[in-house]
Amino acid sequence: MANQSFAKSVMKKTTLGVIIGVLLVIGAKFTHFPPVFQIMFFLYAMLGALVFILLDAPAMKRLEGVKAVGALVVFYLLLSGLYIAGASILPQFDPEDEKGKIEKVLKLRRAQTEQGKADELIARAKELDERAKAISKQLSSLGADVKVEVASTTSSSGSGAASGDLVALGKDQWELQECYNCHKLYGQGGKKRGPEMDNIGNLMTAEQLKEKIIDPKSWKAEGFDKDYEKGKMPDKYKDLMFPQEIDALVAFLVSLKDESVKTPKPIKMN
Amino acid sequence: MKTLNRSLWIILAMGLSGVATAFGQVPDAPPVDFPYSGNRTAVWVVAQLHILFAAFILGAPIFAVVAEWLGFKNNDPKYDRLAKEVIKVTVILYSMTALTGGLFIFVLLGTYPDFSTWLIKHFFIVFAVIYPLLFILETIILYTYFYSWDSMKGSKKGRHIALGILLNIVGTVTLFVIDGPTSFMNTPAKAAGDLSLVEFIQTASLWDKMANFSWMPLNLHRLVGNVTFGGFIAGLIAAYMFMGSKTDEERSYYDWMGFVGNMIGVGALLLLPFMGYLLAYELCDYDASICPYMMADQLSMFFEMQGAMIGLIFLASNYYIWLSLKRIQGVEQVRISGFVAVVVLFMPAIMGFTWKMFPPPEWQSLIVLGVLVVLPVILSKIPGLKNFTVSAFTMIKIGFLMIVVADAIWMTPHGFVPTQGLATEEVELPSWAGELALMPAKNAAAFTLVFLTVVNYLLYNRAIKRGTIVWGKIDFASQFVLIFLAFSAIWTMGLMGAVRSLTRKYYHVYNLVPDFTPEAFTPTLAYSAWWITGVTIAFYAVVSFAILVTLKAGSPKPATSLASSVPVEAK
Repeated sequence: MANQSFAKSVMKKTTLGVIIGVLLVIGAKFTHFPPVFQIMFFLYAMLGALVFILLDAPAMKRLEGVKAVGALVVFYLLLSGLYIAGASILPQFDPEDEKGKIEKVLKLRRAQTEQGKADELIARAKELDERAKAISKQLSSLGADVKVEVASTTSSSGSGAASGDLVALGKDQWELQECYNCHKLYGQGGKKRGPEMDNIGNLMTAEQLKEKIIDPKSWKAEGFDKDYEKGKMPDKYKDLMFPQEIDALVAFLVSLKDESVKTPKPIKMN
Repeated sequence: MKTLNRSLWIILAMGLSGVATAFGQVPDAPPVDFPYSGNRTAVWVVAQLHILFAAFILGAPIFAVVAEWLGFKNNDPKYDRLAKEVIKVTVILYSMTALTGGLFIFVLLGTYPDFSTWLIKHFFIVFAVIYPLLFILETIILYTYFYSWDSMKGSKKGRHIALGILLNIVGTVTLFVIDGPTSFMNTPAKAAGDLSLVEFIQTASLWDKMANFSWMPLNLHRLVGNVTFGGFIAGLIAAYMFMGSKTDEERSYYDWMGFVGNMIGVGALLLLPFMGYLLAYELCDYDASICPYMMADQLSMFFEMQGAMIGLIFLASNYYIWLSLKRIQGVEQVRISGFVAVVVLFMPAIMGFTWKMFPPPEWQSLIVLGVLVVLPVILSKIPGLKNFTVSAFTMIKIGFLMIVVADAIWMTPHGFVPTQGLATEEVELPSWAGELALMPAKNAAAFTLVFLTVVNYLLYNRAIKRGTIVWGKIDFASQFVLIFLAFSAIWTMGLMGAVRSLTRKYYHVYNLVPDFTPEAFTPTLAYSAWWITGVTIAFYAVVSFAILVTLKAGSPKPATSLASSVPVEAK
C-alpha cells in the first residue's frame, strides 16, 4: 500500500518537475538564454523534483551483513562515477593551449639558469654535430665541388623575434602577460577592471607607458579611481618581464591609435 | 600499537633530519621520473593524502574535547564515550599522518630536488626545528590525553579536559606554522622599496615570509574546514557502527552520535563559504590576475564543480535534518512564523541587489542583512500578525525549494566555456542576466543556504523541546546520507586544494620560482576529478579500516551501562 502511494507520489512529482522544467525552458528561450542554459534550467527543475520525491520516500529497510557491505560498495562506486562524470561533462580547458604560452614566457628565464645554459649548449652541440654530419655526407657522396646548403638556424621563439618586429613581439607579450583579462582591445577581452586600450598610443608616450607598467601607481585612468585605490593593476611586471619584453610591449601599445575608441584619459600621479 | 607508532616516529624524524643533508651532499642527482602519473601528480596525490589525514587529526580533537566537556558539564557519559571513540580512531590515523608526511617529503625531494632544497633553506628553522618540535609535543600530549582517559575521571576530569584543550592549541599552532611555507608559495611577501622580488626574498626575515597575504585566511579556512571534516568523519564512524549494531542500545547510541557529528560538521560548514571567500579575496587582492584565472578562465569549471558539490552537501545535510525530524513524535504541532518563509523566498533577490550596491568590505550590506534576519522575529510579535504561522514540514519544504534555487544561482556561470576567451553568444548568459554570474549573486546564494540551514536547526531544536525523540529509530537511509556527506566533503577538499595549488600557475612560488618542468600547465577538470576520486577512495579505505579495527573488532564493550546512559526515548 505504502509502495503504491509512493509510486503515485513519484509519478506526480516527476510530472510536475517536467512541467516546471518545460515552462522554465520556454521562459528562458523567450528571454534569450542560449540552449545550454535552457538545458541547465530543466535539470534544476528535475533536481527539485528528485529532492521532493526523496522528502516523501518511505523509510528504507535495515541492511545487515553482506548486504550492507555490498550496498556500501555500490554506493561508493556510484558516488565516484557521479563525480567523475559530472566533472567530465563540463567544458574542459585544453592544456595544449597553455603549454606553448608557458614555454614562451619562461624561455628567457630558463636560459638564465645553470640548467638552461647547459641545455642550450647541448642543443647547440647537437645541432653542430648534425650539420657536420650532413656536410660530410654530401661531400663524400657528391665530391668536393659541391655547393653545400646548410639550413639556417632560426630561433624557436619564432613570431617576429628573428625579423626584429618589435610590435609583433609586443603583441605576443600582451597575450602572454594576459593583459586582456583586464583591458579591452579590438573589442575583445576585459572585464571592466582596466581601461580600453585601442587609442592609448595617442594619449601616452613610450616613456609614460613604460613608467606605468613598471610602477602601476605612477598613472591612473580617468574613471578608474576605485581600481587605482585598490591597486588592482598588479605591481609585478618589473619582476616578471625582462627589459626587452617591456620595450616590446610598450612599442605595441604606442602603435595603438584608433581614435574611434574612447580610451580614458591618463592622469599622472605622484 | 605503541611500538608501531614509536617506530614510525623514529623513521619520520630520521627522514626529516637526514634527507636534506643527503641531498645536500649529492646536488647533481637528477630528479626521478614517476611512471604513469608523472612527477607533479605523484606529489599532488601524496600531499593530498597527507593533508586529509592531517585535517582529521587536527579537526577530530577539537570535536572530541568539546564532546568531553559537554559530557562533563551535563554529567552525560555518552558524550564521554563519543569523545573517546573519536580519539581512538585519531590515534590510529595519527600514524598515517606521520607516514604520509614522511612519504610526501621523500617524493617531493625526489621529484623536485632543486625547488625542495630552495624552500627548505628559506624555511629552515620551521622545517628543521619548530615543526618537528611541535609535532613531537603534539604526539606526547595526544598519547597522554588518550591513555589517561580512564585514570583521569571524576575530580580529575577537568584536568583531562585542559589537556585536550592544550592538545588543540598545539595542533592549531602546528597548522599555522606549516601554513606559512604553504601560503608563501601562493603569495610570497611583496617587495618593499626599489628592491625586486628576488632581492627582497633573499634578505627577508622568516616572519616576513610567514606572515604573507594569504597566511591568515588560509589558517582560518583550514581551521574551520578541519572542524567540519572532524564532524563529518565522526558522522561516518557513527554510520558504520550503526549499520553494524546488533542491539537497540547500540543503535540508539550511534544514531545520536551521527546526529552530533553532523550537527558539528554542519555548524562549521556554515562558516566555510565565508572563509573560502576571504581566502579568494586575499588572493585576488594580492594579484588581480589570479581572480580571472580562478573564476573566469582555466579554473572556472573547477568552481562550477565546487558549486555543485557545495549545493549537494547543503542538500544532504538538510535532508539529514529532515529525516531526524520525521522520527520525532509530536513534530506536527511545531510551527514557525510565516514571515520566515517570506524572507527566505525573497532573500536571494534582496541580498543579491544589496551586495551589488554595497560590495564587501562596505558595511551597509550588513544592515540589510541584519534587518532581514530580525524582521520575522519582530513581525511575529505584533498582535494580529502573530497567527501567521506555517508548520515545520511546510517551512522545511519551502527551504528545500530555495536550496535548489540558491544552488542554481551559485552554479550559473557567465558562460559554459573552459576559458572566457572562447566565449560566444551561444554559450553565454544574455547581457541582461549577466549579474547572475557575478559575486553579489553568489554571495546571496551562499547566505541563503546558510540561513536556511540555521532555520532548519532552529526548527529541529524546537521540535525536540516539544516532542519526543526516539533515538535508534531513524530512517536507515540517513546513514547513507552521513556517508555521503563525509565522502563529498573529502572530495570537495581535494578539489579546492587543487585549485589553491593551481593558482600558482607555472610557478612553484608564485611570480618568484618558475616551474620549468613540462608538467607546469593547468590539468583538465576531468583528469583532476579522477585523481581526486582516487585519493578520496584511498583515504576512505584507510579510515574505514581504522574504524573497523579500533571500534568494531579491536576493543571490548565499554564498561558504562548504555541502558542508563543513553535514553532510548528522551525528550
